[in-house]
Amino acid sequence: MEKVLITGISGGQGRLLTRRLLENYAVCGADRVAWEGRPPGVNVHQVDLRKRKFQDVIRTENPTAIVHMGFIRHFRSNERLRHDVNVRGTQQLLEHCARYGVRKLIVVSSGYVYGAFPENPYFMNEDHPLSASRAYPEIRDLVEVDTLASAFIWKYPQIRTSVLRPVNVLGYYVHSMMNEYLRHRPITMMGFNPMMQFIHEEDLCEAIALALEQGLQGVYNVTGPGEVPLHTAIRETGATPIPLPEPIVRPLFRRMFDWGAWPYPDGAIDYLKYPVTLAGERFVEATGFRPLYGLEEIFRSVRR
Amino acid sequence: MANRMPRPISALLDFLGAFVPLNFRDLESEIDDRLRKIPTTLNEYGYDPYGLHPESARSMIRMAALLYRYYFRVETFDIENVPSGRVLIIANHAGQIAFDGGMLGTALLLEAKPPRIARAMGEYWIPQIPYFNILAARIGALVGTPENCVSMLNSGECVVAFPEGVRGMNKTFQQRYQLQRFGLGFMRLALETNTPIVPVGIVGSEEQQIGLANLEGLGKLFGMPAFPITATFPWLGPLGLWPMPVKYRMYFGAPMHFEGDPFDEDAAIQKNVDVVKGAIAEMLDRGRRERTGIFS
Repeated sequence: MEKVLITGISGGQGRLLTRRLLENYAVCGADRVAWEGRPPGVNVHQVDLRKRKFQDVIRTENPTAIVHMGFIRHFRSNERLRHDVNVRGTQQLLEHCARYGVRKLIVVSSGYVYGAFPENPYFMNEDHPLSASRAYPEIRDLVEVDTLASAFIWKYPQIRTSVLRPVNVLGYYVHSMMNEYLRHRPITMMGFNPMMQFIHEEDLCEAIALALEQGLQGVYNVTGPGEVPLHTAIRETGATPIPLPEPIVRPLFRRMFDWGAWPYPDGAIDYLKYPVTLAGERFVEATGFRPLYGLEEIFRSVRR
Repeated sequence: MANRMPRPISALLDFLGAFVPLNFRDLESEIDDRLRKIPTTLNEYGYDPYGLHPESARSMIRMAALLYRYYFRVETFDIENVPSGRVLIIANHAGQIAFDGGMLGTALLLEAKPPRIARAMGEYWIPQIPYFNILAARIGALVGTPENCVSMLNSGECVVAFPEGVRGMNKTFQQRYQLQRFGLGFMRLALETNTPIVPVGIVGSEEQQIGLANLEGLGKLFGMPAFPITATFPWLGPLGLWPMPVKYRMYFGAPMHFEGDPFDEDAAIQKNVDVVKGAIAEMLDRGRRERTGIFS
């Protein structure tokens, strides 16, 4: 039986993925926090990916495949720590993969890496430049992680590596940026209502599982059932959009973010103004993936 | 939108509706009927993937239809030349403000079979303007990047482009019916996606404003692509850009098919572009010969 190591296993998405993979794989995980009530037979190692102890975990567990989704995606911690954990943690992990004979690697990146710009075409494919850090320097670590992992595909072609860039993930368990935003702070920019794409957390698990089963190699956008304007998404999850004037709000949020009184940097505002829509055909052609959850079900699954 | 309106307001609107002349109401039901027949697929929320939403576009289309029928009294010729699948509509551009684009879009919705939503390829600054960007998306316009155009055409849409751009729109009255330099991008996209081109000659829009000069430098200062001086603008303020009630005549040419390498050098592409330009010039000549006056 193949053995899969999941980084970030204790997060909502990690837990769902564990349950999905347990049918066909032996699963173990690494995370900074423990997972109370994990299924029997699943080892969760509390380690820092940057530390030597993580190397020991890989040596002793000896996984044949790794799903890497242990990133700090929120901005609550210090910026330097976030960058270090995400980028250096990934770099260490890639080195371990090469050294200890891991045969498959899946890095769960994000659709945000393309950046939100007025000149964005609709349905950007995987070759589109990753420009997010131009207007949103706080997520340059996620862009760097994506770039490191993409370069790894070419450096070690014998390791089946795939980089997945899913659109906004919603669901009951997942703690995605979008989920938190819709649940707690559905602020919008006055006069803007961009189209957005969503995917259900279970469908993302399915996509990861497919990539794993088929030993997928390459960079792929993972898209869900469709796209709606932001305001529609907010209403459908049971909230009311709160439109605010951007010229006032942007400098205000920047200050508040610096003081720690606001959870998102001002660069995030552009994602509420301009469409960031991805073309998912390549992944569908490669794996035959079809999202099971429709838009209405996705919105209904967001906890209120 | 209507269901979120406070009850007294919607009641008032219903009451006022009783005073709307009958032929306006016929126009409204005609538009509704036409919107139901557009071939674009909409999702469960009534949106297409690019943000088109016929429900919210309806009020704008009504206004455009009023201008179309009663102000510009648009007359179309050979509109059955517009095929039902993917097509690139190429027209002349004039009149300081893009009423020609709006009227062409209205013609395609009201008179083409099946009714088509004209997908306009907009300027890069449109998404940055609050509210306006939403309106543009809801009526089916999108930023004119080559990627957008290719994906529109590949999904069988009807894309409208004015290869003269501001060169045509902001020319002076003296230059009316003289086609300006055509951009080459549309031809490359047509070759790449194997799309038929329908040339359109619009007679009338070229005389809707008496353009005297274009102070490009001043426009740049305000961040605009042009700054026209006309008989009425800027003397009457923004209202001075409102067009005269000229009569529009739109001539739709037979679909033209081109073959070749979309990445060929400019000179080779230019040859094909000149064929399209020639067809439009011919239709403009015909239109000017056939009409009896600018306003009739």
